[in-house]
Amino acid sequence: MATATMVLTRVKVQRRFGLALRVTAVIALLALAALPLLLGGDVWAQRISRAAIYAVIGLSINTLTGHAGQISLGHQAFVGIGAFAAAFTASRLGAPLGFGLAAAAAAGALTAAVIGLVALRVTGLYLALVTLAFGLTAETTIFNWREFTGGGAGALAPRPTLLASDHAFALLCLGVLALVLYLDWRLVSTKTGRALTALRNNERIAATLGVNTTGYKLAAFSLSGLIAGLAGGLFAHWNQIVQAMDFEFQVALVWVLMTVVGGLRSRLGVILASALFALLPLTLPNFLSSLPWQPPFLNEAVYHVLPPFIVVVMLLIVLRCFPGGFGQLLRPATRWLSTGSARTPRTGTGGRT
Amino acid sequence: MKRRHMLKVDRLMLRFGGLQVLDGLSLTVREGQIVGLIGPNGAGKTSCFNCLTGIYQPQSGTVHFDGRDVSHLPTHRRARLGMARTWQNLGVIDTLTVTENVMLAGHQRTGYAALAGMLGLPGTWHRERELQRDAAEIIEYFGLDAVAHERTGELPYGIRKTCDMAMALATDPKMLLLDEPASGLSPEEALGLATTLRELRDRLKLTILMIEHHVPLVAEACDHVYVLNFGQLLTEGPPADIQRHPEVIAAYLGGTAAETPEPPEWPLKPEGADHGTA
Repeated sequence: MATATMVLTRVKVQRRFGLALRVTAVIALLALAALPLLLGGDVWAQRISRAAIYAVIGLSINTLTGHAGQISLGHQAFVGIGAFAAAFTASRLGAPLGFGLAAAAAAGALTAAVIGLVALRVTGLYLALVTLAFGLTAETTIFNWREFTGGGAGALAPRPTLLASDHAFALLCLGVLALVLYLDWRLVSTKTGRALTALRNNERIAATLGVNTTGYKLAAFSLSGLIAGLAGGLFAHWNQIVQAMDFEFQVALVWVLMTVVGGLRSRLGVILASALFALLPLTLPNFLSSLPWQPPFLNEAVYHVLPPFIVVVMLLIVLRCFPGGFGQLLRPATRWLSTGSARTPRTGTGGRT
Repeated sequence: MKRRHMLKVDRLMLRFGGLQVLDGLSLTVREGQIVGLIGPNGAGKTSCFNCLTGIYQPQSGTVHFDGRDVSHLPTHRRARLGMARTWQNLGVIDTLTVTENVMLAGHQRTGYAALAGMLGLPGTWHRERELQRDAAEIIEYFGLDAVAHERTGELPYGIRKTCDMAMALATDPKMLLLDEPASGLSPEEALGLATTLRELRDRLKLTILMIEHHVPLVAEACDHVYVLNFGQLLTEGPPADIQRHPEVIAAYLGGTAAETPEPPEWPLKPEGADHGTA
C-alpha cells in the first residue's frame, strides 16, 4: 500500500515537473521568437509583419488544401482582391482600418465562394486549372480596373496614426495570425474538422454519415477566401500601396509550395515555412553579400536567384523524404509540448496524415 | 399484426449506359423487421443500396422512407432522417481514430452550428465532451475500448468492420442498411452476429435490411428475404421457403431449375454467376 502511494506520488511529481518544463519551453521559444521584434528595430518589425501575413496566407491555403483536400492555384486573386478592397475603403472612403479589413475579408470570401460553386463540379487537375485560369483572369481584369485599383499606379492604403509605427503594425499582424490560429484550432477540434476529414477521404461515406458535402466544400472555399482576403488587407497596409504586380501568378505558386513544405494540417509547420519563405528573399542575399569572404564567380546577382532555387530544392526534399513537411519533422517536439510524452501517438490529432 | 412500412421501394430502374442494373425493383421493409437481400454477384444488390441512400439517382421509381418520399433527397438528408448504412469495403475514415470516427458519425447530433464550433462559442466545448462520452459508450458496447485511440487505417480488417457498424449506430438511425456484415468473419462470429442484430433491433427499435451471402446468418437472423437476379426480383418469402426455392438454387448455381430436380443443400456461396459487380 505504502509503496503504491509512493509510486503514485512520484508519478504525480514527475508529471507536474514535466508540465512546468514544457510551459517553460513554450515561453522560452515565444521569447526567442519575439527577440527580433524587440531588438531588431523597424527593419525587423517590417519583416515580422511580412512573415505573419505569409503565415496567414499559408493557413488560408491549409484550410482549403489541408482540411478540405481542394487545390487552389489562384490564391493571389483572393489575397489581391482583399488588398484592393482594403486600399479602396481606406483611401477612397476614408473608412477606419477595422472596417477596411472586414471589407477585405468579405471580398475574399465572396470571390472564393463563387469559385467554390464552380469547384463543386470539378476535382483534381480540372480544379487546379479552373483556379489557375481564374487567378490569371483576375490579374488582367479586376486588378486593372482603374476606378477600383488605380490601374498601374496602384492604390494607396495609408495606415491610421495609431498603427503608423512598424512595431504597432507588426503587433496587429501577429494578432490577426493568433486569431486565425484559434479559428483553425477550433475548426479541427469540432464537427467541421471531422466532416472535412471525411469529405477529403471519401465524399460518399461523409454524405451517408449526414455531412452536407456541398455545403462544407463551399464553406471551406469561403473560409479560405475570407482568411486570404484578410491577409490581403494586412498586406495593403503593410506596403501602404497596392499594385497589380504584387499579385502575379508566381506568388500563388510560392504560397502553395510553402504550405506543402510546412506540412498540410500542421499549424506550426505552416507558420514556420511561411515565415521562412517570406524572409528568405529579403535576408539571404544581403547576408551573403555582407560576408567577409566572397567565393569566386559569385556576386549579388547570383545571391538574388538563390532563394527560389532553395525553395525548389526544399520542396523536392520534402516530397521525397518527409511528405508531412516541417510538421512531420517537428511532430515529436510538438507532441512532447502538448502531451508530455514524445512517444505515444495515441491522442487523436484531428486526422493528420 | 401488420406493422407500418419503414421502407417502400417502388419500381426502381437504374441503367449505366447499356447495362440495366436495376429493372423495376420493388420491395418493402416493415418497421422492426430484419430483411435479407440476397442474390448472385452482379445482381444489383449494392446498387440497390446506393439508390436507397441517394448515392445513385435511379432513372425512375420511388423510395419512401418512414412514410416520406425521399426519392429526390440528397444523401445527407436521408441520413438525417435516420437511414444509416455500412459498406462492403468499409465506411471508416482511415486517418481518424476509432473515437474520432464514431464522433464523426455523430455529426448530425452535434447540436451546434459549424460556425459556432469554429468560433469556440461556450456551448460547443461542453457538447464536444458529451459527444466524446457518447462515442466511448458505443465503443465500449462493441468492445473496441482497447483500440479507441488508434487510427483505423492501422487496425485489422475485423476491427475496422466493427468500427463501421459502430459508426452506423452512432448516427442514431431508424434503419440500418448493412452491406455484407459477415464478410471477413469466421463462421462462428457470423452466427454470433445474428444474435447481435436481433438484440440491436429489439433494444434500439431498429429496422434492418442487409445484403448477405452467409446463409446460416440469413436463415437465423432474417424475418423475410428478397432474392435479386439481374436487377429483378426473383422471389421473396421467409428464409425457410427461399432455401427450397428451385429458381433461387438455379440462380446461384447457374443452369435451370429443371436440371436440378434434387435441391442440394442450400448453396453456401454464390458461384459461377459473375456478371461483374455493379
